[in-house]
Amino acid sequence: MSDDYPSLLRSEQMSLVQLFVPTEVAHDAVAELGELGNVQFKDLNPNVNPFQRSFVGEIRRVDEMGRRVRFFSTQIEQEKDVVPIRPLYDSAPLIVVGPRAPQAMDELDVTLAAHEQRLTQMNESYQKLSERTKELIEARHVLRETAVFFDKAHHQTDIRTSFDDSSAPLLQHDDRENQYSVGTGVQFDLEFVAGTIERVRVPTFERVLWRVLRGNLYMNHTDILEPFVDPVTGAETRKNVFIIFAHGDALLAKIRKVAESMGATLYPIDANADKRSESLREVEGRLEDLQNVLYNTGSSRRTELTKIGESLRSWQDVVRKEKLIYETLNLFNFDVRRKTLIAEGWVPTRDITTIQLALRHATSRAPACLPFYMSFTIMDSYGVASYQEVNPGLFAVITFPFLFAVMFGDIGHGFIIFVAALYMILAERKLARVDLGEIMGQFFYGRYIILLMGLFSMYTGLMYNDIFSKSLHIWHSAWDFPSNTTDTKIVGIDNGHRYSFGLDPGWHGADNNLVFVNSYKMKMSVVLGVIHMTFALCLQFPNHLKFKRPIDIYANFIPQMIFLQSIFGYLVICILYKWSVDWSKATTQPPSLLNMLISMFLSPGKVDPSEQLYAGQPFVQVVLLLLAAICVPWLLVTKPYLAWKDMHKIKEQGYVSISGEGDGNGIHRNSSDEVLEGEEEGNGRAIAEDGDDGEHHDFGEVVIHQVIHTIEFCLGCISHTASYLRLWALSLAHAQLSEVLWSMTLEAWLEPTGVFEWIVLIVMGVFWFVLTVFILCLMEGLSAFLHALRLHWVEANSKHFEGGGYAFTPLTFANPDSKE
Amino acid sequence: MEALLFNVDGGFLEGTVRGYKAGILTQSHYANLTQCESLEDFRTQLSATDYGNFLANEPLPISTATIADKATQILVDQFKYLRNNAVEPLSKFLDYITYAYMIDNVILLITGTLHERDTHELIERCHPLGVFESMPALCVASNVEELFQSVLVETPLAPYFRDCLSASDLDDLNIEIIRNTVYKAYLEDFYAYCGSLGGPTADVMQRILSFEADRRTVNITINSFNTELSKDERARLFPAIGRLFPEGNNQLAKADEIDQVRSVCENVGEYRQFFADAGSSSDEDSGILSQLEDRFFQTEVHLNKMAFLQQFQYGVFYAYMKLKEQEIRNITWIAECIAQNAKDRIQDFIPIF
Repeated sequence: MSDDYPSLLRSEQMSLVQLFVPTEVAHDAVAELGELGNVQFKDLNPNVNPFQRSFVGEIRRVDEMGRRVRFFSTQIEQEKDVVPIRPLYDSAPLIVVGPRAPQAMDELDVTLAAHEQRLTQMNESYQKLSERTKELIEARHVLRETAVFFDKAHHQTDIRTSFDDSSAPLLQHDDRENQYSVGTGVQFDLEFVAGTIERVRVPTFERVLWRVLRGNLYMNHTDILEPFVDPVTGAETRKNVFIIFAHGDALLAKIRKVAESMGATLYPIDANADKRSESLREVEGRLEDLQNVLYNTGSSRRTELTKIGESLRSWQDVVRKEKLIYETLNLFNFDVRRKTLIAEGWVPTRDITTIQLALRHATSRAPACLPFYMSFTIMDSYGVASYQEVNPGLFAVITFPFLFAVMFGDIGHGFIIFVAALYMILAERKLARVDLGEIMGQFFYGRYIILLMGLFSMYTGLMYNDIFSKSLHIWHSAWDFPSNTTDTKIVGIDNGHRYSFGLDPGWHGADNNLVFVNSYKMKMSVVLGVIHMTFALCLQFPNHLKFKRPIDIYANFIPQMIFLQSIFGYLVICILYKWSVDWSKATTQPPSLLNMLISMFLSPGKVDPSEQLYAGQPFVQVVLLLLAAICVPWLLVTKPYLAWKDMHKIKEQGYVSISGEGDGNGIHRNSSDEVLEGEEEGNGRAIAEDGDDGEHHDFGEVVIHQVIHTIEFCLGCISHTASYLRLWALSLAHAQLSEVLWSMTLEAWLEPTGVFEWIVLIVMGVFWFVLTVFILCLMEGLSAFLHALRLHWVEANSKHFEGGGYAFTPLTFANPDSKE
Repeated sequence: MEALLFNVDGGFLEGTVRGYKAGILTQSHYANLTQCESLEDFRTQLSATDYGNFLANEPLPISTATIADKATQILVDQFKYLRNNAVEPLSKFLDYITYAYMIDNVILLITGTLHERDTHELIERCHPLGVFESMPALCVASNVEELFQSVLVETPLAPYFRDCLSASDLDDLNIEIIRNTVYKAYLEDFYAYCGSLGGPTADVMQRILSFEADRRTVNITINSFNTELSKDERARLFPAIGRLFPEGNNQLAKADEIDQVRSVCENVGEYRQFFADAGSSSDEDSGILSQLEDRFFQTEVHLNKMAFLQQFQYGVFYAYMKLKEQEIRNITWIAECIAQNAKDRIQDFIPIF
């Protein structure tokens, strides 16, 4: 391989390669590259219709084969008894590369066609046979049921025995049609029609008949208990036997016509009981024969299916691969003499040697070192990092759970989340194989980050000293509460201890708890926010270095940094300083930092001495304000000016620029293949620059971009800092909600005295726990998740992230859905 | 008012149908389709559209009939989905759409029976949207009275047939008269129903239905030249709605040749261009007629497209069905041209978008 290990910070080094492949080995070469799975081919003929490309014929052939294979697999699926399908890893691989490839494909094609033909034939005969069986069964039912009608109708009439042409050809439809039964007329005048009809149609049938015959009929029908199963579709139909008595040929003809058009089947029934029993015997005999034949056909069909099942998987595999290969080949260009194919594609630079090896058709296929993919795709859903850009996803691995935890700080809730994530990780292998559904699947996919979120929440919970809204007493509290006073208001006394870590539990339950915690969390969120933004801003720097854009460093990065630090950095320092001063012993009142910041803008240079934070404050503030004020025009003007100067320089030299040096938002790079990439992406800029008036466009674009950028940044600094206050708001809401939940459910029942109280305690305990999990951990967790996401996407990413890239999707044979 | 409450019941379905509409083939799809060399190419092209893989599992020599059937099947499935999710009054509205197909099916069955075709074959040829339970029994009837009493009386079409009970014998001319009488009654009823819904539905639908009525009027007039249909009878077949009604209808009832039809149509601005440049060559009537037919279809497509411009109304459902039908006609036409190698006429379809 290569010495470089893939880094998480930046994307893989890519190279644009051009392959010249002789036509005869193109197929094999692509197959080889597909096995490697790290080349992304470019479409070299985007203007050609899909069906006008070179390999359409092959694709169509493969499609046809695919259709056959699909036909087999649906046939196998429909089979009631499970037909064994040999898994892919077990079957002998079909070789479709190398010199014998075309023959192998031809053979496969022939095999598939033969199998299909045999299978359809068997299906047909099977279907025909089942159809006949069905008819016979129906006939049997009709015979039996009509017997009942007749018995009722004329049990007292003399039963005559006579032998009719009992070989009523049940199997010959046409004959039967003619031989619809008309009563023998000897002892029984009424004529009738008998048959079967689908049960759902019976009411309509009856109604229509009644109307057509104006009520001149007697109809009787009974249900056939067992359903009829269609051999092809497997659908069940339920049928009824009917017998209709009517008088006159015209009426009977009408009945038959209606019955036929309603989808009924008519059977010839003799009015004579003996004849009926005769034909019943006959039918049963035939039925038995037929069922034997049917069984044989079924079993031979099954054998065929089993044979297919043995190689079905490898066929599917081959067909899928072949289709992919030809689709890829369609992306290639023929050279002028149509002897070689030209392919272009993106390749990770590290893997070039592997690919060269593969192309040389080395028999030893060195497995490609697949880039290490992170489980953290949070940033990718915002935008894929541009080529070689610093990937913020790497840092989000830690910052994201941390910001989440700041809002979700509670040891208990953090622990629940942690345990859930731990379970998912430990049961990873098992869970990965089951389909978890959309929602659970999402959680499972993010199990590692949930684990971290749980861990960090436990940490911040320790900081806030919150466990299910209660406090932990680990060390001595700094406050003593005298218990012997009778006052309604107890004032804590400072006993000189300092709580070693986190919030002093003495605050818990105090009247001014909320005031204290609010101020603490609010300031903390501002501090965290400024640190996070500063960090995000700093990520610009490696980008500018990497892409050799020194202009951007001193026209963008430095003024932005100064602007941010001189206002908000200063605020953070003031917050920290204010915390470190013991105001109970100071001469001045503790100043309000918010007012200080506001008056820093409104009345620069003046600070009320009673609210002064430190000596020399007015001077420092004026200097900082001036610095920030300078940064705005600096940011606004420098880059457009440089671009303008550049343009002039080029014009003076008489050149017409093709690729503008100082491109607006700095996406543009100078190395040649990146220009190519720009063109390939089809982004309008690269094309616009080819035009004659490219410079004017370009310059205007730079100006507009920079104006927008400046305004966005300066206003953004203020609003983004304010936006980080959501850390405070959410953590406050979380703490309050869990406290309310505690006091509303459990608190009142904590000291049970009798059995009833115990029961209530248990019920309440369960109730409390369920609510904790669903409301506090899931709902609140989701809201904290969303807010943390927003802080990353909006507040942090806007400082540096371009995200104009697209993911690398190489040609690969690895099956995307592994379930097959 | 509709804007306030329409979405309670109709919002989801309107959204669905607008989504379906987005899948109607566009000009560039047609451009690709017309370039196909064979029906397999055609299938490949269609698989890139919303039709998807609807032909993927068909064994290879594909017939144009299969294509039309499968495409219709998709439309029917979509319609059934809409119908199953609809509540009053939309469900009634959708039912009204199916009545047209039912009328066609009834006429098809009667005609088929008259010419002694196989009933099952006839039933298979019926439009799936117009199938009703007792439909197969139609082939028993030998006169209108019987037809009505035995089958139609329980269908929603019964009121429409009441007017034509007088025609006793079933022959080709009578069937044609029945068809037109029934269709006239249906159109008037649908028109009134849309009017009762009020609001934008009435605006949009009555515009479309007026055109439909006028188209029928003109067609009936032209087709009845030189036949045994008397002018009184002809007048009775004209729907009593539409923009030509009543003066135009009266004049058309008396018309004897195509120039009179033209002069009537020229009274309505939108219809003026139907006969616009066919004026000189009045000798070849068939040319004018086929051109007229095309223009009718174009206007219909145009009106149906306009229906999508207005929200909170049911016209979109009707318009979608009509547009989709036109699209199926188009792809069938193209497929037919490809199959019969008649490339010169392949462009004679009516583009929708």
